[in-house]
Amino acid sequence: MTYLSLILTLAGKDWRLFWADRRAAVLAFTVPILLASAFGLIFDRPSPADAQMRLPLLIVAGDSPFARQVAADLEACPRVEARIVSRNQADRLLEERRPSVAVILSAFDSFAGRPTLEIYHHPLCTMEAQWAEGVVTEVVMKRYAAERFGPFAVRPPFETKAVAVGGPETRFNAYSHSFCGMTIQYLLFWGMESGLLLLRERRRGVGQRLRAGPVPFMALLLGKVVATAGLALLQALVTFAFGYLAFGVTVGPSVVAFGIMAVAVCLFAAAVGLLVAAIGGTESRARSVSVLAILGLSMLGGLWVPTFLLPGWLRDVSLSLPTTWAMRGLEGATWQGRDFLDTLPSVAAVLGFTVLFLAGAWWKLAASEKRERRGVIV
Amino acid sequence: MPLPVAIRLENVTAHYAAVRAIDGLSLTVHRGEVLALIGPNGSGKSTTLRVAAGLLDPVAGTVEVDGRTRTADPQRYARRVGYVPQDADLYDELTAVQNLEFFARLYGLRGFELDAAVCRGLARAKLIDRATARVRTFSGGMKQRLSIAVALLPDPPVLLLDEPTAALDPASRDALFADLHKLRDDGHAILLTTHHLDEAEQGCDRVAILDRGRLIADGPPGELLRAKPTGRAVLFGRLGEPLPKFVERRVRQRLDPGIELEITGRRMRLSAWGSNDLGRALAIVLSEGVQLDAFRTPAGRLEPKAKAA
Repeated sequence: MTYLSLILTLAGKDWRLFWADRRAAVLAFTVPILLASAFGLIFDRPSPADAQMRLPLLIVAGDSPFARQVAADLEACPRVEARIVSRNQADRLLEERRPSVAVILSAFDSFAGRPTLEIYHHPLCTMEAQWAEGVVTEVVMKRYAAERFGPFAVRPPFETKAVAVGGPETRFNAYSHSFCGMTIQYLLFWGMESGLLLLRERRRGVGQRLRAGPVPFMALLLGKVVATAGLALLQALVTFAFGYLAFGVTVGPSVVAFGIMAVAVCLFAAAVGLLVAAIGGTESRARSVSVLAILGLSMLGGLWVPTFLLPGWLRDVSLSLPTTWAMRGLEGATWQGRDFLDTLPSVAAVLGFTVLFLAGAWWKLAASEKRERRGVIV
Repeated sequence: MPLPVAIRLENVTAHYAAVRAIDGLSLTVHRGEVLALIGPNGSGKSTTLRVAAGLLDPVAGTVEVDGRTRTADPQRYARRVGYVPQDADLYDELTAVQNLEFFARLYGLRGFELDAAVCRGLARAKLIDRATARVRTFSGGMKQRLSIAVALLPDPPVLLLDEPTAALDPASRDALFADLHKLRDDGHAILLTTHHLDEAEQGCDRVAILDRGRLIADGPPGELLRAKPTGRAVLFGRLGEPLPKFVERRVRQRLDPGIELEITGRRMRLSAWGSNDLGRALAIVLSEGVQLDAFRTPAGRLEPKAKAA
């Protein structure tokens, strides 16, 4: 019997065990889809091509004609969704974050000295406050210039155009990001489950039977890797197929790049599983540590929200994480539309981590097998 | 003329959980023979089986199956030993056929050979009508039969069973021993562990008694149990819980004259003229539902004649 057929036999057993519990199998395909869809829904914003994004804004109008005129201009501005309220109403609505920014125009009741324009905002919404400041400043300046120099002075001598940069063929939507991120995260959890299964199997009588059988230890581990990676690949393909059909998540132009990247990520998930089995100790300890590690890797690797939202030093740290490269690779091969060669660095990085994790797991598991054969309870 | 030796343990010492679990053990099992290892918990029965199965490396001594050691060729050694762990564990989520197929493939069987081995296994386990049922739906006896069928897939000359009757009712136990006797008659060497003296007496050709990893008696159960009373055989036991007075009274009423039973707290001392009477007395004690955490016999006192034989 060849070594390869031995590995395939062991992997086939895990494949059958996976399908033996049909409901669990269905959930294994449904959960990543639900997670990715939910994240996409939360972060989805209309693209500039579809509609202008408008900032919800409260206006506390002043008594002067200038302030009232500015309030009217803001109401007419296509970049904000303005609503005129009293000061008390503004305070109450800001507390409830409905919306999160208010501009107080009463400062313009008198231009004696240098009036201060107050922008009130919810503590968590500094970005919206800056946005509001920009829009209000522009509107006030236009109105001020028009009143001082006549209507012809209000047009700036240039036009602006915002271009989303992502790759040769950018087709970004929030679902593209969430389907990449949540798929990677789920596959890591799948790897963890597979590792826990290996731990459980080794402690059961059936594990003793396998160890007493004509199966080299290395074949047992490789069989587990093949099974875990194979099922992970199937889950990834089903998740992206759903993303394509339901939310327009695109792959390519290089399908090969996507395929290779997906295989690399699935092998990495399998390596994570073996590492969990190797260093986990007891099952409950392994589960707790793995959940913490996977959530940390997901957060820092940009699987939940893009890494540019992280502080600068954390962005640098994230470059040393496998999840960052997995995310880069999958995003490159999907909505960024990068070609095969552009994806190769990410593939190489993820495979490098895979080899590292596999070597560590093999070393630890082989040592524990040796100890067990010497009669040490591990 | 005795059949050739199938398993030979020569001065084997092995550790388990930082304890010297077997200590200089020498033992042989011939083809066509059923040998039972008996002894209290922690006496080294299961460790002996694990060493013979190749799951545990001895720190000293040699283990041979059909004249070959495991270190020389682990794969071939594994094919010559069928091991049935204590809990008869298989993949509960898979069917009987899937379990048999998987293990048969591991042993390198393919095509017609594979199909034949699976059919043989199903017939041996008497599970042809439940072939496609999941193992988790099986009774303890069915699981045990399937477990043995799996161990016999490569047709190994040696079968090792760790407490095969632990979870079986008396009827299933009798059926299991009937199957084991058929295998013995086909030339298999069978080494099993048990706590039940009656089982060892009725179902096995030879009995080896272990105590703290050492062999204290080894011989045919008939000879062992018919040993002349050269002195009183003594057995010390530790009760799982203090014995209620009414149970103790009932046990004493059933014991033959000449049997001495002393109970102090959770300590028990049972003595009789010869191991035959002692074995029967112990069986009576256990049949009254007395829980024994451990028991031991002083080395050299139990079966001196039989050991010499």
